Amino acid sequence: MNRLIQWARMIALDVAALMLGALFIVFLIQILSRYVFNAPALWTLEACLTLWLWVVFWGGAFVLQEKDHVRFDVLYVAVGRNLRRVFAIVSAVAIGAGMLAALPATWSYITFYQIKRSAVLGIRLDIVFSIYGIFAAMLVIRYFWRAFLVARGADPEALDKREISDGYHVQ
Amino acid sequence: MSLALFSCLAVMIVLATIGSSIPLSMIVAAIVYLAVKGQDMGLAAEQIIQGLYDSFVILAIPLFIVAANFMNAGTISDRLNVFCLAIVGRLKGGMGHVNVLNSLVFAGMSGSAVADVVGMGKMSIDMMVKNNRYPLGYAAAITAATAVVGPIIPPSIPMVLYSIVSDASIGYLFLGGVLPGLIMCAAMMLLNTYMAHRMNVPLEEPIPLREIPAVTARAFPALLMPIILMVGIYGGATTPTEAAAIAAAYAFLVAVFLYRALNFSNIRAVMHDSVKSSASVGLIIGSALIFNYIVATENIPAQVQQLMKGVEISPVVFLLLLNLLFLVLGCLLDASTIILVIIPVFIPTAKALGIDLVHFGVVAVVNCMIGLITPPYGVLLFVINAITGVPMKLLIHYIWPWIAVLIASLLVMILVPDTVLAIPKLFGYVPGR
Repeated sequence: MNRLIQWARMIALDVAALMLGALFIVFLIQILSRYVFNAPALWTLEACLTLWLWVVFWGGAFVLQEKDHVRFDVLYVAVGRNLRRVFAIVSAVAIGAGMLAALPATWSYITFYQIKRSAVLGIRLDIVFSIYGIFAAMLVIRYFWRAFLVARGADPEALDKREISDGYHVQ
Repeated sequence: MSLALFSCLAVMIVLATIGSSIPLSMIVAAIVYLAVKGQDMGLAAEQIIQGLYDSFVILAIPLFIVAANFMNAGTISDRLNVFCLAIVGRLKGGMGHVNVLNSLVFAGMSGSAVADVVGMGKMSIDMMVKNNRYPLGYAAAITAATAVVGPIIPPSIPMVLYSIVSDASIGYLFLGGVLPGLIMCAAMMLLNTYMAHRMNVPLEEPIPLREIPAVTARAFPALLMPIILMVGIYGGATTPTEAAAIAAAYAFLVAVFLYRALNFSNIRAVMHDSVKSSASVGLIIGSALIFNYIVATENIPAQVQQLMKGVEISPVVFLLLLNLLFLVLGCLLDASTIILVIIPVFIPTAKALGIDLVHFGVVAVVNCMIGLITPPYGVLLFVINAITGVPMKLLIHYIWPWIAVLIASLLVMILVPDTVLAIPKLFGYVPGR
């Protein structure tokens, strides 16, 4: 099970990397079309913004672990082990519950857009925005699961997987 | 304060304090706000999605992240380092000056302080402590402090964030950072000279002058980067977002073909890193936008403005007090959170007091970047601790004089607006709009 999750995470990370790479290349095509060929492409900007939306929420849903998030952990690291676990459970339950409470309204917001299509590429907007729904649903699952694991005795820090590339938050 | 706003802030503060992810705490707090107010909870999704999907400027952020990561993956930092060593290594406290100059040049290529430390930090520290010339804590502290100029000298990711919330022009913000960045570097070089005399550090073996052309040539492709960015943006040829893409492409080409420092698995790792940074910054931006929506609905900026009117505060006193607040917050909060959530509350007041928004923005960004090295929550301290293993306690012990000179530079920028605005004015900026 654990290895399966690990493998799925790697795939998710590669998919996100491909999306980011595509964003980069499409943006370069936009610059080329505008300055070199003097015929600005219209689809590029929309494609970039769509990819950006997907990179952020795909990443948030499947890639980012606790340690990758921007956190204020001065108090968290200062308290003892038991209190730390309480903190981890409270925060996981709060995030899971909050996202769950908003899920029906989020769903109806996204499906509302099935009647609209994007301006240039003509993609249905509910499909473009669906990644936020996936993100919200994944957070519900991941954080309730996390609360369950910590409540059963797991060490919250040990739940983060170590990776080859440990990115730092860029400021 | 309405019940809805109170519950929202309470949830936000409690969750953030116990160590939850800040963006997720903000989203949950916003959902609580909407629930208590009886509004459609789908508004949270709407604000976040539209905020990220509608802004062209925002695309500069993932592109600058990719550019910075590619530069770090190549051997660009080594080559720059040799170049800087040849230029200032011969002075008293030479290695310290090299450290400052390294960061200055690197700052012209990347928009991120963390990228500076990751790219240059370990090498700079190792060089300084070789043969016990400098204490380890001193080397680590100067490396952290010099990285602060990274996002002040253009390009700059935090300034892009500020321009998203303030609508100030990125081009002029970037230009506004040039002089302050140089002032900060000069101040740090002065401090380093003083410290080198006090610690009586031996002089370095100077690199012969005749080798300088060769060293410069080796570093030239890297040195060209800031020039490409500047000419692109200020020659009017490209927007800052496009310049970010060109910078990333250039860094990629140089690292892969010229320096032959990247292979497939490196590239994959760079992209993985960039995805994580982009997604985490993207979430912060999205969640800050919904928070700003709430702050605006509750009319908080207007209330702040009323309050300030009541006490008849002068613009300078306002700026000074605000900067004090940002410095205190900077000890506790992440810089992007301060820029995206706290600063917008004060922008209308700043405008009403006649403070120029480019001046305000540059000062605020400098302030938040100083926050990156103020304990207990200083991201740069954490990163140095993580990549070099220098103990946190030692680092904090040595960091204070550097914080002091940086705050002194900040004070100059606050009191003399032209330190920020002189260069934008040269390029046709009319302050006060």
